[in-house]
Amino acid sequence: MSWVTWRQHRLEGAWSLAIGAALAAAVIFVAYQLHAASCGGQANSYCFSNELGGTIAQGIVRLNLYQYGLVVLPALAGAFIGCPLVAREVENGTHRLAWTQGVTRLRWLAVKLVLVFVPLLAVAAVAGALEVVLINQLGTTPNHWAFFDQQAPVVVAATLFALALGLAAGAVIGKSVPAMAVTLVAFVVVRVGLAEIARPMYIAPLSYKSVDLNTQTGAVYPSAWWLDDPSYYDNAGHYLGTVTFNGYRGQAAYFVQHFQPGDRFWAFQSIESAILTILAAALIGFTIYWVTRRLS
Amino acid sequence: MIAPIQATGLGKRFGRTWALRDCSIRIPPGKIAGLVGPNGAGKSTFLHLVAGLLSPSTGEVTVFGRSPRSHLIQLLDRVAFVAQDTPLYSGFTVADMLELGRRLNSRWDQRSVEQRLRDLEIPFDRKIRNLSGGQRSQVALGLALGKRPELLLLDEPVARLDPLARREFMQGLTASVAEDGISVLLSSHVVGDIERVCDYLVIISQGRVQVAGDIDELMGNHHLLLGPRTDDGPPPSGVEVIKTSHTERQTSLWVRGRVAHLDDGWREQPLSLEELVITYLSVPAAAALPRPELEEVPA
Repeated sequence: MSWVTWRQHRLEGAWSLAIGAALAAAVIFVAYQLHAASCGGQANSYCFSNELGGTIAQGIVRLNLYQYGLVVLPALAGAFIGCPLVAREVENGTHRLAWTQGVTRLRWLAVKLVLVFVPLLAVAAVAGALEVVLINQLGTTPNHWAFFDQQAPVVVAATLFALALGLAAGAVIGKSVPAMAVTLVAFVVVRVGLAEIARPMYIAPLSYKSVDLNTQTGAVYPSAWWLDDPSYYDNAGHYLGTVTFNGYRGQAAYFVQHFQPGDRFWAFQSIESAILTILAAALIGFTIYWVTRRLS
Repeated sequence: MIAPIQATGLGKRFGRTWALRDCSIRIPPGKIAGLVGPNGAGKSTFLHLVAGLLSPSTGEVTVFGRSPRSHLIQLLDRVAFVAQDTPLYSGFTVADMLELGRRLNSRWDQRSVEQRLRDLEIPFDRKIRNLSGGQRSQVALGLALGKRPELLLLDEPVARLDPLARREFMQGLTASVAEDGISVLLSSHVVGDIERVCDYLVIISQGRVQVAGDIDELMGNHHLLLGPRTDDGPPPSGVEVIKTSHTERQTSLWVRGRVAHLDDGWREQPLSLEELVITYLSVPAAAALPRPELEEVPA
């Protein structure tokens, strides 16, 4: 069965490897450029020379190609590799060929899952780790929160989730193209929903209170994730609003702002990875049920 | 001998519609059985139940005495299935497909498959998508026979082939199964295909089995009686009338059984297999089924 799966999916394998390698090469190149310009400790704008290589590196960093890539590629992997895994067989009727050879459906599916998913997850892990390298090259106190979705555990979990989503959609719908559309939409909904609604509340946020209205909170805790704008209060503790304190001149006594401290970053990465992994496991379990019980 | 296929009260429902209902048949060993019926009659459903691709909603089916649901893996070594439209991996070469067969089946016979496809002049290095329909079907059949099955199931194997490729396919099939004594069940909605190769017939329509029996016996036992118009006369004794039709002056009776003595003015004509099938399909209530024979089913 392994040989059959390899023979079926070697083209996708080659593509994934090529894209993964291109990503890795881009990061290493950028990181090298940054390192060569000895950027460590300085702001980004001083980092780049005007040489051709520097320009490219600058372009990549400015456009955040790599950052966007790590958000988009898992979705594409789910749609283009996850969806057809079962759906294409059902479309072509080849599942009836495969399931009447001397192999159970469960084994058929398990081999596909292992041989297709595991290498892709490895590529995602490498890409996510390289992102950390890249961020570390950008400065001494990098704020990781801005790159939350692109880092090692979450990128891997998001890739697993996207693949499982594509797999399940493909199995249930039985047609690759509609399954791709469903996968892309569902992936965006889940990831944006997690990032915008759930993520700030994984652990109860801390609040920062300052009577010095000129305090720059970003400078107080440079590695923190500030969740909201400062809220201004008067001496009696009445809430005034969030507009810049000049608007409440003479009234505002202090402000409060909520944040997640920088040392929670990896805990948050673990929590979000766990959520995505559990969703993926549920989708894979559902696909196993669907393939072994419902398809024919 | 244990029957390759035995169904008892077998039924399959998809949602609210019954694709197959109360089907009880026993296909004797060593036969090439033809499953005929109009499109949507339940032929594919029956074959899928036998191949273990579906599980029954009611009743049960056994293959060599075992249920495909509980003993699928043991049975898959002995049963080969060629699904409708002969699905193969279109990006594989012919050699790749044989490699798939070799790797997934414990009793695979590489030499005879290669020989068979070589005799048919099928290029091994060509991709499946570049084969003609006839070649593709031959590869699918080769793959099925390479398993050295004891039961071969074919779902409309020649539906998409031109008449010549049809004939070649059927000839190849009969030659191969005759050598090895393989039991075959093949479905078709073309009676001509069945007539050429089958010695056992199952007619299925609207989800029910109407007729099951040896083709020779069925042919010997069904006749067309032609006589002067008799509207309400009693049917001739000793026969069961399946269908009656009248013209102005003549009455035609399609009957099962033989009349010992024909009245004056009546004559008996044999029925072709096609006429027999069409007669039954036009009268869905009529049935000709052998009495169920029970046999020991090994645990």
